Order: sequence, then C-alpha cells, then structure tokens
Amino acid sequence: MVMLKINGKSHTVDAAPDMPLLWALRDLLGMNGTKFGCGAALCGACTVHLDGIPRRSCVMPVSAATGHSITTIEGVGATASGKRVQQAWLDLEVIQCGYCQSGQIMAAAALLAKIPAPTDTDIDQALSGNICRCGTYPRIREAIKRAARKPATSKKEG
Amino acid sequence: MGQMSRRQLLFTSAAAGGGFLLGLHLEASPRVLAATVKGTQTDFAPNAFIRIHKDGRVALMMNQVEMGQGTYTSMPMLIAEELEVGLDQVHLEHAPPNDKLYANPIFGDQETGGSTSVRAFYEPLRRAGATARTMLVAAAAEAWGVDTASCRARRGVVTHTLTGRTLSYGALAEKAAKLPVPAQVALKDPKDFKLIGTPAKRLDTPAKVNGKAEYGIDVRLPGMKIATVAASPVVGGKLVSVDDSKVRAIEGVRQIVRLDDAVAVVADHMWAAKRGLAALDIRWDDGQHGKINTADVVEGLAAAAQTPGVVARNDGDAPADLAGAANTLEAVYEVPFLAHATMEPMNCTVRVSPDRCEIWTGTQIITRAQGGAAKLTGLPLDKVEVHNRYLGGGFGRRLEFDMVLQAGANRPAGRGSG
Repeated sequence: MVMLKINGKSHTVDAAPDMPLLWALRDLLGMNGTKFGCGAALCGACTVHLDGIPRRSCVMPVSAATGHSITTIEGVGATASGKRVQQAWLDLEVIQCGYCQSGQIMAAAALLAKIPAPTDTDIDQALSGNICRCGTYPRIREAIKRAARKPATSKKEG
Repeated sequence: MGQMSRRQLLFTSAAAGGGFLLGLHLEASPRVLAATVKGTQTDFAPNAFIRIHKDGRVALMMNQVEMGQGTYTSMPMLIAEELEVGLDQVHLEHAPPNDKLYANPIFGDQETGGSTSVRAFYEPLRRAGATARTMLVAAAAEAWGVDTASCRARRGVVTHTLTGRTLSYGALAEKAAKLPVPAQVALKDPKDFKLIGTPAKRLDTPAKVNGKAEYGIDVRLPGMKIATVAASPVVGGKLVSVDDSKVRAIEGVRQIVRLDDAVAVVADHMWAAKRGLAALDIRWDDGQHGKINTADVVEGLAAAAQTPGVVARNDGDAPADLAGAANTLEAVYEVPFLAHATMEPMNCTVRVSPDRCEIWTGTQIITRAQGGAAKLTGLPLDKVEVHNRYLGGGFGRRLEFDMVLQAGANRPAGRGSG
C-alpha cells in the first residue's frame, strides 16, 4: 500500500513501489486527465507537479512521490497560476485535439509560479519537452504571456 | 535490445505505446445508443442530427469526428445557424455508426478525413437545422392560430411578432414531432448569417483544459483488464515464437495472447502489462517485406511516375505548348514517409457477450470499424455497437481499425481469465 497526497487529498493505492505514478493515477485511481503519450518521458503529456515542480509521471515511481504534494490537471485550477493558465488557454483558443494539453498546462503553470513574467527563452526552456502534434506552440507561447499579464477572470462565452 | 534501425525503433515505440483495453464484463448494459438516434416519443427528432427535448435541451449528433480540426464547433455552427439556437445552448453527442444516416457525401461512408467535413456538410447540416426550425415555427403558429410568416425564431424561442407571445423550443417539441417533415425548406441568405463566418469559440475546449475530456484511452468499465501489444515490426510479418517464462511471475499479469502478427499481455493495469511485454522474448518472421528499404520504395515510385497515370483533367494541348515554349523548367519534388505520430496511442476497449459486442474507440471510420468487428465476432452488424470518443490526433492513422481487430481478437482470452 502506498499513500499519495493528490490535489490536497490523501489516497491509499495498492501499487508496487516501482509503479510509475501515471498508472496509479489512471488505472488505480481513475484520474484520467493526466495522459499517457510515450511512457518514456519524451513527450510531456503525463506532466504533473510534485511540490510545484513539473515531473513526468510516466517514469516517476510512486515510492518517489510518497510524502510529496502531487498536483494534477484535475486540481491545478485551484492554484493561482494554474487558474490563470487555464483561462488564457480558453481566451486564446490554444487547444486543438487537446491530448497533450494537460501536460502543456501543467508545465506552463509551474513556469508561471516560478517566473511570473517569463521571456520567450524561459518559455522555450520550460516547455521544450512538451510535444504537440497539432502544432499549437505559437498559441501556447502567447497564452503563457497573457496569463503572466492578466489575473484570472471569469470571461463570458462569446 | 541490441542495434535497432530507425524503422524498427518507430515500430517498437508504436507497439509499446499501442495499449488497448480489454473488457471482461459479460453482462448486458443498457442499450443507450438506439435511443440516442431516435429520441423518445416526446422528443423532437426531425432528422439524425437534431434532438430537442421537452426540457429545452438541444442535442446535436456529431458524425464528423473531433481530432483537433474543429469539427465539433464548425458542424454545430452549420446546424445552429439555421436552427436559430446559440452555440451556448447546444449539447453535443458522438454519433453512432450508420452510413445511411451519416455518410460523408464525398466518400459515401461515415468518414472524417481529407479536410472534407465543412465542404461535404455545409448544405446538409444547414438543411437539417432549417427543417427543424421550420417545423418548430409551424408548431408555434398552429398553437396560436396565426400565420407562420408572423413568427420569428431566435435563440431557441419562437415569438409571434404581432403580439409578443413566445414559446420555447422545448415547449414546442412534442407538437413539432407530430408534424410532417417538410421535403423542401428555405435556407438563409448568407447575408443574414449570425454564426457562419464568425470566429466562434470552440465547444470542446473547456473540457480540455481541466482533464475532463474523454478520449478513447480514457474509457473505463467495471472489472476491465488492460492489455498492451507488440506487433510485427514489418507489415505482413508473422509471429514465430514467444518465450513467456519470465512474464507469468509478474504481479498483475493475467494472460499472454498470441495473434498471427502480434503478442498481447493482458493485465490488471497498464504497468503490469508493460512490464510483461518487456519481459517477453519474441521471434518474428519478417516475411516478404522484410528486406524493403526506403531507397527501393523511392525507386519504385520514381519508376511508376514514368508510366501513364490517371487523367483528372486535360485542358488544351500541354505537350504541344511545352514543346513550343521559350523556356521550360524541370524539377523533381519528393517527400519522405511521415509517421502519423498521434499523441494518443492507438487504443480500443471492447466488451463482448455471446450476442453482443460493444466497442469504445476514437475512429475516423466508425462504420468500417463496426464492420470489421462484426466479421471478427460473427455477430450481425446491429449487434455491434461502437461508441466514438474524442481523438487525440488522427492524421489519417485512425482511418485504419487494426486496433479494433486486435482488441476484439483478445476476446476469448478476456473471457477465459475473467
């Protein structure tokens, strides 16, 4: 049994210590917002936060996550930077197929929490490991800048 | 794994990422889909695309799938424009397989591909919306005993312009459902468009920023097992032998399934399945395509390009004009093979009982997937239900349904280990 603190709540999962966090989230806890892309830390779709730091859950054993505060896409909206990023993503219509975007949003939220006004270089460095096959990169960059400038608002649907 | 060519690496990655999900539950579940097409008697369902509930909910059936290109916004815009509802008032559902109701007129079957959705459905979906609106207006006019010309529809409400009386679409649904469906309806003049041609917000985005959007890979059924496959690294290759002696001891592994051209490890969760797959010692017979390389393929294409091709158009006398031209320019254009590389790995969930097969997947060709599953299981088409989901990228890769057949082929294993 492994204890995991996810989005502020404690969960006990029946996982071997070497099971990657991704499978504990998806297959044992039914939290499907975190995506499986490559399983080898190459695409970034599985990005979660461990104590606010972006990590690839597909290669992080649950034993390494125990005792830390885990945030996933389901809970990132409760953080200040996560909420701003989600709103900017909506405002600028960043998303296409959306499969990589949980990871993109997690990476962007962690970046803004660390660097409130990131430069293009900061953005490129922080998100270079998050692959988008639809090619939404220009909008991702713009949305991060928008989130950095604007506080979160509840904009009405147009 | 020793030395690998780039080609092998691509295939191995695809196979390792090619998890499919296998359901073990055999009991019947409620047959929702039949009801979603026809609607209940009190709903207004004038065609296969629109269903208006008595409570005012407007459901639109999406036959062209969403894989990032925006169809779950453009198709609703076409319907909503003529139906006279706002995009904030509609609720979208994935359409079931049915070529008669949903065929893409460009392809002749229910297919999303080739950038055809808007041009194929520009008129049909507007007509579907206009038909429903015409009937709702007629129902209101009948209720008030007035001329339809004095009634206007807007945002899901019909107003009698002379008296200001109003009736919502929900309130009119039952009455409209009893009216005959008109064969001819007038479409709007494009100058009156309120939605078409405007930069509308995508309808699928809100669920995609918080992890709620459900892709094929996110389907979960009670008691479901998860399998992952290693497929032959060469198309046309066959499985020769599998040594699974190191796999059976892995906790969570339930079964190793041998197919003609693939091996699957069935387990309680993906981690066990992946560990099991990695511990297999597999031998393949690459078959007749084993020696094919890129240079041969390019050479073959170049040779084929010198033979007479299909004539799509023939204007004027090109050879004569070229022969008489002052300057001619010759160039050869080549493009490499490209991996589809969808972000969401190929996957499919199946639940099979002796008289029924249910499939959940994200597919660009839902009726072909249904047909393939029917052939595999020996069940008639109407016993094979396919539930589409959001596609984590398509790019044509999901114009194939190999993942459906692989998942379906594991059915006996699933039943046996349940």
